[in-house]
Amino acid sequence: MEQIILEQPILLSTVLVPIAAAMASWALGDRVKEDVHAGLNGGALLYSLVIYLALAWRFGLDKIVRDPWVWDVPGLGRFSMIFDAMVFPVLVGIALVTGLVAIYSVPYMRHRFEEMEHEGVKAPGWGAYFMMYTMFAAAMLGTVMTTNTVEFYLFLELTLIPSFLLIAFYGYGDRVRIAILYMLWTQMGAVLFLIGALALGFNVGFDFYDPATGRFMLGFGDEGLAGGLATAVLAAMTIGLLVKMAVFGVHIWLPYAHAEAPTPISALLSPNLIGIGGVMLLRIVYTAFPSGFSSMAPILLFWAVATMIYGGFMALQQTDFKRLLAYSSVSQMGYMMLGLASISVYGFAGMILHYLVHAYGKAILFLTAGILITMLHGLRSIPRMGGLAAKMPVTAALALIGFMNITGIPPMPGLWSEYLLVRGAVEYVFSRGVLEFVALGGGLLLAIGLSTAYSFLTMKRIFYGSLPDHLKEARDAGGSLTLPLVALAAAGLLTFLFIYWMLDPLMAILSQVYG
Amino acid sequence: MEEAPMSYIMVWLAPWLGAVLVLLMHRVGGRAKGLVGVASLLVSAIFSTLLLQRALASEEPLHFAAEWVPSLGVTVGYYADALAAIMAFVAAWLSFLIAVYSLEYMGHDPGQTRYWFFFTFFVGSMEFLVLADNLVAMFIGWEGTGLASYALIGHWFTDEEDKWVGDPGRKALGIPMWFEPSHSGLRALVFTRLGDVGFLVGIAVLHIMLGTTSLEAMAANPAGWAALLASKGILAAFLAFFIMGALAKSAQFPFHEWLVTAMTGPTSVSALIHAATMVKAGVYFLLRVTPILAGAASALRVTSPEVYHTIEGFFAWIAIIGGFTAFMMATMALVSRELKLILAFSTASQLGYMFLATAAGALTGTAALGVFAGLSHLVSHAVFKASLFLAAGAIIHAVHSRFIDDMGGLAAYMPATFIAMLLASLSLAGLPPFMGFWTKDTVLHAAHEAHAQVAFMLGFITALLTAAYTMRMVLRVFLYEPSNHVAKHPPHEAGKLMLVPYALLAVISLAGGALWPKLEEGFAEVLSEKTLGLGTPLHLEPSVSLMAASVGMVVAGLGVSFYVYHILVAKPMETISRIPILYKLHTFLYDRWFINAIYYRVVVDGLKALSRAIYNYIDQAVVDNLYHRFLPWAIMGASSLLWKTLEHWIDTGFHVSLVNGVLSFSDRVRRMQTGILNHYILFLWLGLTVMLVLITWLAGW
Repeated sequence: MEQIILEQPILLSTVLVPIAAAMASWALGDRVKEDVHAGLNGGALLYSLVIYLALAWRFGLDKIVRDPWVWDVPGLGRFSMIFDAMVFPVLVGIALVTGLVAIYSVPYMRHRFEEMEHEGVKAPGWGAYFMMYTMFAAAMLGTVMTTNTVEFYLFLELTLIPSFLLIAFYGYGDRVRIAILYMLWTQMGAVLFLIGALALGFNVGFDFYDPATGRFMLGFGDEGLAGGLATAVLAAMTIGLLVKMAVFGVHIWLPYAHAEAPTPISALLSPNLIGIGGVMLLRIVYTAFPSGFSSMAPILLFWAVATMIYGGFMALQQTDFKRLLAYSSVSQMGYMMLGLASISVYGFAGMILHYLVHAYGKAILFLTAGILITMLHGLRSIPRMGGLAAKMPVTAALALIGFMNITGIPPMPGLWSEYLLVRGAVEYVFSRGVLEFVALGGGLLLAIGLSTAYSFLTMKRIFYGSLPDHLKEARDAGGSLTLPLVALAAAGLLTFLFIYWMLDPLMAILSQVYG
Repeated sequence: MEEAPMSYIMVWLAPWLGAVLVLLMHRVGGRAKGLVGVASLLVSAIFSTLLLQRALASEEPLHFAAEWVPSLGVTVGYYADALAAIMAFVAAWLSFLIAVYSLEYMGHDPGQTRYWFFFTFFVGSMEFLVLADNLVAMFIGWEGTGLASYALIGHWFTDEEDKWVGDPGRKALGIPMWFEPSHSGLRALVFTRLGDVGFLVGIAVLHIMLGTTSLEAMAANPAGWAALLASKGILAAFLAFFIMGALAKSAQFPFHEWLVTAMTGPTSVSALIHAATMVKAGVYFLLRVTPILAGAASALRVTSPEVYHTIEGFFAWIAIIGGFTAFMMATMALVSRELKLILAFSTASQLGYMFLATAAGALTGTAALGVFAGLSHLVSHAVFKASLFLAAGAIIHAVHSRFIDDMGGLAAYMPATFIAMLLASLSLAGLPPFMGFWTKDTVLHAAHEAHAQVAFMLGFITALLTAAYTMRMVLRVFLYEPSNHVAKHPPHEAGKLMLVPYALLAVISLAGGALWPKLEEGFAEVLSEKTLGLGTPLHLEPSVSLMAASVGMVVAGLGVSFYVYHILVAKPMETISRIPILYKLHTFLYDRWFINAIYYRVVVDGLKALSRAIYNYIDQAVVDNLYHRFLPWAIMGASSLLWKTLEHWIDTGFHVSLVNGVLSFSDRVRRMQTGILNHYILFLWLGLTVMLVLITWLAGW
């Protein structure tokens, strides 16, 4: 895979420009209107999106693009930034969702501020909100482009503080307790990862990508560590990131945090932040330990299907719309993990693509929940909804598109990721006997069946049937509460149609690096 | 190689473009959206005709493929062998006629944009599926029809009572037996998507083996991959997964329940789903893969008999499932009180015939016979069932009730509809010379030839039941004495836009039947020579005795109904209610063999209970409490313990003992300050020595 070295640190700029915007918002505070903040921060994040698209356009996605700067950190390897087909869908997912949600934040948070005022709570104003918001988004962009485990860890820590504060300041319910809970959990995940990364680094090295030669250091952990230590390091790094993903067993923080975070932040936490765990498991942990990881694959595969099914069952039990979506995210992380556990190029591609699909789908759905909260006086309880499609046809259509993404119904790109994930998983069991084959098929039947059931049952409970009296006044939101969702839906349609542009180079680089 | 022009992609592209246009016109009022929809379907139908002509004239299948996703080998275009071209043609023209009917039928509906968007999207997806040259593209069309059917079945999503299906208030085993549109849409999607996961697993398996999902690659050496699968021990499991999508789509037992309640959609949608699209996709899929699988079986018959037997066993199962579905659904149609529901039961039953025919044909060793029988019945059913549904829509609209109890004597009020429906009904009943007679006969013929005794007997009895429920329907709707409801609200004949499509289809089912003996040979020949996986021309050897026997069954069925409802003119329900065993049987049939109730009791309630139990006892009680109550409690406990013990010890150690120690030390030091110089010099030297030792030690000496 050819490495192209940029003349200017453009990749770094896609992190620094949003951070600069965040700082500017902080400095401006209440001196400008919220629309200016939104324009500034949304604009900065959309700048990053444009850069990613332009780089893909300019160089094609069949090359690895690297920043010119390589920072040699004594004892900790080299920090640099790269951009390739593997991270392109992830970066697009983050930049697009965070850019659009910045715009959506204005009407939503305006409503939230009023609500909090009624509760008698004085929350930090717009400048602080956007500062933290964009820091969070920029740090997420940073994690994905790193070439070094410590560099990755630093960005990961950087995502934590602003997201913690956003929940603590603007969340719902018992927000401070939940923010601390969120902090403890993800910090635990991060520290587990760090312990593994340091043990790996001091013994072998911190770089999982060599900026000089332009190669991924495939197998550097497998080769450099002795048996017992290798297993411990692999386990620490894997479990650390699985906690971040919130797969079954270590998922319990997610429904609290994602349901009670202010809704724009839910839309960032849920598809964007947690999915990074899956993608970086491939990019860092699998790169370091291809054979060690493969020997864990049966456990991970079982765990993945269990997570898919478990999240689906839990989603069916929820009466709070946001909590339902949070459990759906747990299930969706099972889908991503399935691709990873399949140890096949198809499964890996499916996982990376599903990151983007889930970003479209779950962002749309959380923003739908936000529209209902804003338009219907904080309504989140599904049993109190019904028949809303008659009054809110656009919102209903958008929610349908959101669910189509996560259940893989065309013309949404979920169809592609679902096929790739199934393809990968079937490849894993293909030569392992009839019992494994039937068990996987049956598991998938139940898992995808449950996803379909909770998705479309929720559509029915919220939008169809007769309209209760207290919702007679409901109407579509319009404006910047709706347009970001429309843009996400359109992006989904375009991704479905032009999938080859993203998928073909993705398959190529995965085959070349891991094939 | 025949040149294959790109323009024929308009068969599927035109309806999809129509869908986009309808969406863009969402603010335009009136009829415009409907006209755009109809026009796009007309374009599709015209291109399907051209495509059919070219495909039948061509030696090779017409194949146009443009790359879409090279890394997955997915192409778009069309693959038109005889099977695909005929299927595309039938689906396109029927959809067009149903759309014309909809112009009037749905003319005053407020949801025009939604209706026409999903209608055209539906047809586009169906044609895309039919003409796909690879399984992934086929799956995309397949899922598209699933989405469209979900939206159209639930079109009247506000769930008013007149849009329900089933008797409000009736319960079986405690489970409600009435269904709102939004509920039915959900059922359709969940039922069919369960099967689709199996289909997807099957596609993945083929992709792994062949490196592509193209139909031609699949047909090139089927014995090769079948043997490979058998060597891994997963051939039977693969076949079960692979066919699951078709079983669910075509509402075969045990997936049939969704189709019954799909009647909540507008009647035009029912016609579309039952005649031209959706449910026919499953049959089409079976027709597509049967020659390929049969080819694998016959190639391996001698060398690997166990592979041969696995595939034969698969076909035997499909034949049984088809025969059983045909029989079971026909018994339910006998007692139904809703006009559309009778037709819905009938569709599932007739689809069972198609599955039976195709699989049985393959069992005879001549897959072409199966394809011929299956496709023939598919086409004739499409024609008469579209006519029946459209006529039923006109009747329900005119009577303002879906129950046949509220009908009766309509022949006088709606004579043209009566004649059309009578013709189509006789075709369904299988009376000569209607098309339905000939094609049903090929079904029974194939089953008979295959020596699939059980399946054949089920199909044979179904012939009688079909004639009986059809006659009952015609008598009770048109000829029975008018109900009070009809007497109070005299119905009127349907408008021309509605009448013409179903009258035309009824005439076709008669004319097609009259010409059938002349066309049959040619049809069989073209189909068997120009379908992927086939190749040897099929020669039909009709069995006159079987034909006579089946006519006997039909006449008997018609006769029984006629006797009961016309000669006896007793209300059969009154008799049935008096005899407990008959009443129980009636309840059993009326409540759909309790299968729906059992699904809800066992599967739905079971999963609900499981989900609730997991949530309450695992997620909340164990996981949440473990992490968020027990662990914090344990940590706080440990902390308090440490606070009371270790920390207390350290605290007293540093702050009491140490302080006291320091104080007493300083007291002693104070006492050292004696004022005597010698003492000071001694202390200085001692201190210097200690420092020197420390420095030398730290420096590493």
